[in-house]
Amino acid sequence: MQYEIASRWVCKQLGIELVDIEDFNCCGFNQIDLDRDAALLLAAVNLAHSEARGLDILTLCTACAGELTAAARELETAEKRDKINAKLSTINLKYNGSINVKHISRILYEDIGVDVIKDKVVADLSNIRAAPHYGCHYLKPESIFDGFDDPDNPKTLHQLISLTGAYPVEYETINLCCGGKTFPISKDISFSLIKKKLDNLQTKEIDFMVLQCPTCYLMYSEMQKEIYRKYGTKYELGVILYPQLLGMALGGDPETDLALAVPPNNSIFFES
Amino acid sequence: MSSNSSDEIDRDNITDRSIGASDLDRDFRREVMAHEDAEQLNHCFACGSCTAGCPVHEVFPEFSPKKFAMMVKLGMRAEVLSSPYIWYCTACHSCEQHCPQNVQFFQILNVLKNMAVAEGYAPYPWILQTRNIARTGMVFRSDPSWEEKRRALSLPVLKLDSDRAGLIIKLSGLDKIVAKRGHR
Repeated sequence: MQYEIASRWVCKQLGIELVDIEDFNCCGFNQIDLDRDAALLLAAVNLAHSEARGLDILTLCTACAGELTAAARELETAEKRDKINAKLSTINLKYNGSINVKHISRILYEDIGVDVIKDKVVADLSNIRAAPHYGCHYLKPESIFDGFDDPDNPKTLHQLISLTGAYPVEYETINLCCGGKTFPISKDISFSLIKKKLDNLQTKEIDFMVLQCPTCYLMYSEMQKEIYRKYGTKYELGVILYPQLLGMALGGDPETDLALAVPPNNSIFFES
Repeated sequence: MSSNSSDEIDRDNITDRSIGASDLDRDFRREVMAHEDAEQLNHCFACGSCTAGCPVHEVFPEFSPKKFAMMVKLGMRAEVLSSPYIWYCTACHSCEQHCPQNVQFFQILNVLKNMAVAEGYAPYPWILQTRNIARTGMVFRSDPSWEEKRRALSLPVLKLDSDRAGLIIKLSGLDKIVAKRGHR
């Protein structure tokens, strides 16, 4: 929720009008494992609802960005669209293939622009050292994202951090996955992945990690406690979501505007 | 795999018994490649770039994209579809990023997962999540405290009514998968 609150505030400051669509359902990220065509339908329902309102889609979650972008790409083909529309018509929906899906950071980077945002910075954050974590589905599969960033050597979040005045710290495991998808299946594997990154970051001088995905956030923030309980390894690494960092630079109130004091609600997310 | 999310890696499935030719299903490769997402499987020349770049392999060596590709090519149908390891992938897409032959292993693995589900191997956490979607459209459970918290923070409570959510899941065909008993 803190991610959502901070994102809503930041969008308001930058003139991005957000419209909540009450008809949206889950993007189908895990349902693709069960039946890929069923997951495509879940994604297509969202695309159709957006299109009916003449709106593109902004996602906060990188997995939603990946899943919905992949679906939009697949449904660029008329034949695939016809097949999905045959089903959608039974619930009075139709998708014509016109929707753009973008993650919030990509919108900030591409559609608002680093220089424009930089001009609005009012706070001095130059003493902050932050480690960026991109999230796999912000970048991959590369073929669906129009080359807006390089998955092997990503730069956009670095630039978004730099524009706030904070310093983006380089580290070896920057491209390592958070393991969030595997968490409900094998905690062991997810914890091993989290530990590798946290171990690496402990050797760096940083104030906090900067994330841009709710799943990555839960994995690197809340799971620090779980790892301490299970392995006795204590990490005390700060974790923050990008709109919270940007919000600080834009002069937002840390508590009311950016929800930096709202505790994450992981129990409902990782129910299993 | 245990029926709930487990803390421990399932090592029971690791086997050192050898496979005889009579155990193989020679149609398996074609059966997999008949799926649009797996058409390029034959482009794989087993260089191992996928496995070398796989983060799960690094922490759990028995998980290996290359090994799965080889098992499919050999026709190890039962071993592949019943393997708990096919569900260990974190979906990071590194295997595809590193493949010199542009084999989309993540998509091939997904074909294998879908085939495994058809044979009754759907993981229970995914079943629970899908049941949640059928109730509210959301992947997580919508409990009253979550709704209260959102209202207290002046955030909209966005969820579908259960009729609508159920209809979408029915239309997708996922209702049949989540209704099945005996998932591991």
